Amino acid sequence: MQEGETLGVVGETGCGKSTLGKAILGILPARTLVAGKILFRGRDLTQLSNLMYRRIRGEEIALIFQDPMTRLNPLMRIQDHFLEEIHAHESVSSTEARTRAREALVSMGIHETRIRNYPHEFSGGMRQRIMIALALVLKPSLLIADEPTTSLDVIVEAQILDILQDLKEAYHMSLLLITHNLGIVAEVCDRVAVLYAGKLVELGSVRDIFHKPLHPYTQGLLSSVIHLETKELHSIEGSPPDLIAPPSGCRFHPRCSYAEPICTDKIPPLVEFEPGHFAACHFGDKFL
Amino acid sequence: MTGLGNRAQPASNDEMLRLEDLKVHFPVKMPFVQRLLQREETVVHAVDGVSFGIRAGEILGLVGESGCGKSTVGRACVRLVKPTAGRIFFDGQDITELGGGKLRALRRRIQIIFQDPHASLNPAMTIGKAIGHPLRIHSSVFGPQKTGSEAFGEWIRQKVLTAMKEVGLTPEEQLYDKYPGDLSGGQKQRVVMARALILEPNLLVVDEGVSMLDMSVRAKVLELMLDLKRRHGLTYLFITHDLATAKFMCDQIAIMYLGRIVEIGPASEIYADPKHPYTKALLQVIPIPDPDRRSKKVLPRGEVPDAVHPPAGCRFHPRCPAVLSSCGWEGRDFVDFLDEHLSDPKRVGDDESVLGPIEDWRAKGLVARLESDPLKVGKAVERVKAVLTEAPVSLAEAVETISSQNRTVIVRFRSPDQLLQTKVQGRTVECLLYQ
Repeated sequence: MQEGETLGVVGETGCGKSTLGKAILGILPARTLVAGKILFRGRDLTQLSNLMYRRIRGEEIALIFQDPMTRLNPLMRIQDHFLEEIHAHESVSSTEARTRAREALVSMGIHETRIRNYPHEFSGGMRQRIMIALALVLKPSLLIADEPTTSLDVIVEAQILDILQDLKEAYHMSLLLITHNLGIVAEVCDRVAVLYAGKLVELGSVRDIFHKPLHPYTQGLLSSVIHLETKELHSIEGSPPDLIAPPSGCRFHPRCSYAEPICTDKIPPLVEFEPGHFAACHFGDKFL
Repeated sequence: MTGLGNRAQPASNDEMLRLEDLKVHFPVKMPFVQRLLQREETVVHAVDGVSFGIRAGEILGLVGESGCGKSTVGRACVRLVKPTAGRIFFDGQDITELGGGKLRALRRRIQIIFQDPHASLNPAMTIGKAIGHPLRIHSSVFGPQKTGSEAFGEWIRQKVLTAMKEVGLTPEEQLYDKYPGDLSGGQKQRVVMARALILEPNLLVVDEGVSMLDMSVRAKVLELMLDLKRRHGLTYLFITHDLATAKFMCDQIAIMYLGRIVEIGPASEIYADPKHPYTKALLQVIPIPDPDRRSKKVLPRGEVPDAVHPPAGCRFHPRCPAVLSSCGWEGRDFVDFLDEHLSDPKRVGDDESVLGPIEDWRAKGLVARLESDPLKVGKAVERVKAVLTEAPVSLAEAVETISSQNRTVIVRFRSPDQLLQTKVQGRTVECLLYQ
């Protein structure tokens, strides 16, 4: 991911997209096996001590969860959510912390007097705006938004996406947008990563992915989107595999209409088929 | 579809279902003392005067955002909730007050499918047993054999296997003894469909039936619904928040907002040329899966308001991009505007000291008032006038008087024009723009 970029991570339920977001922040359950590296500005996050990691979380990388209804503590005033977070990272006076909290809230279009209210006194869209304000109050350089609009109504969803884009520019932030909604990806992302059954199957610019998808799964996913110009329905045969015993070779092969014997035997590597456009398919060049 | 819109019209014969001015109000739970002090009862106006008909063999899409009352309409049709007022006709028969055995007989003909297939299935019941369960409940009508006999059990088993094959749950013999936990989301929704269909109903209410499913399996379930409709001559009430899916599925579309139908008519007409500003907004926010066609959208402001106190006049007026001064502006709209004004650091100036704090404003009906300092009242009236120049024109124009009385500043709005259903190009719209 580049600085200032919006990368969309798409996939269906259980493909590992939320786990990916949590792994970056190091908030997976204890004893989860995490292998490989997570390089953030050259530093491998997997090697950090707990103490160091806590400095990164919120301050450099922030996360917005899917369900704003359950992510705010119902017994805490909005103000205390902010104060807790600011004091955890910076030694500033309560007065200054409060001022910054108020500024963050006002920048989200919520009146500053409401900082003393409790979460239940806000609507869903407002709570998600508060979540965003909380994520941004420490001015992180990377924001991970995990299905930030899924539980919201369609019009409020569009409002929140507008806000996220404006903020991204105002704060020079990078945005990792995790979603199952390809329409949203087409509207806001610069690049797209497609996950299937825990594997990255395709990565490229938003135009590459939408206009020239190389992986049969990406193709299937795109054609199954129902939009206003849909003339006939498409779907992918079968259902996503059980990840306790994933299929051998390419994990998509049992559902793939192009599958050959090699797909069962050999795991396809991620190959750069054209500049910046990667796919993990033995026959990716067929679709170039 | 014959009679359109919210107004009651006589039922015609080929209609499978007709709602006439249906109202469903839910009481708000309140502490005892508060209930005593309150003069009028507080209710959620979940459905507030909805009329429409569905002809046999048609699919009517009921579309709206969460909290608009669309699910309550669906539940009322199956008589899962009791209507507060209005009538429900099914196949010409008034079913509004039906009870006991007659209601049970009705349920054989109207079935409902809910959003979450996982929550709709008993985790401790095998698939086969779940699908056959309705047959056991209605055994007096369906069972040719004696209930509990071996032959009856075998008869049910055969019916279940046939139904499973029909909804694509194959190999049916193997799946028969599986539990819901062993199945994927798409398969579970098929189980729910088989269970709904086994009684051979005429009308199926589908409440967000595919919203929980992944894109790649959603299409399959929708196709199955269309296929079953063709084969069994089913009629659907298809409830969804997704206008794109509704476009594909439905013959007729009804757009619902805060308990009212704002636009209803043939799907082809409404999608080609939406009339109500709310319909336009809903259509506009559907993302186009093409990065080359990104566009800046004009979004309605704010969110769906509380259905306990729905806005006066047209319920969409506080959010409407095309709002007129006669649409229903009232006291609380002014307070909301002032709140927004006072929280904007660029515009607020010293307005807060004269007009604030916002908590001191009281809105009731068409009036907003501020108990102010007697010395400041005059200044406050002037300041309200100044602030209104920055308000949306339609709001400012709707203000009738700004006056003071002792120490109270009073902002009074004009009464809104009466909203009527209007026929516009093949559909019915409830909007002043077309009256």
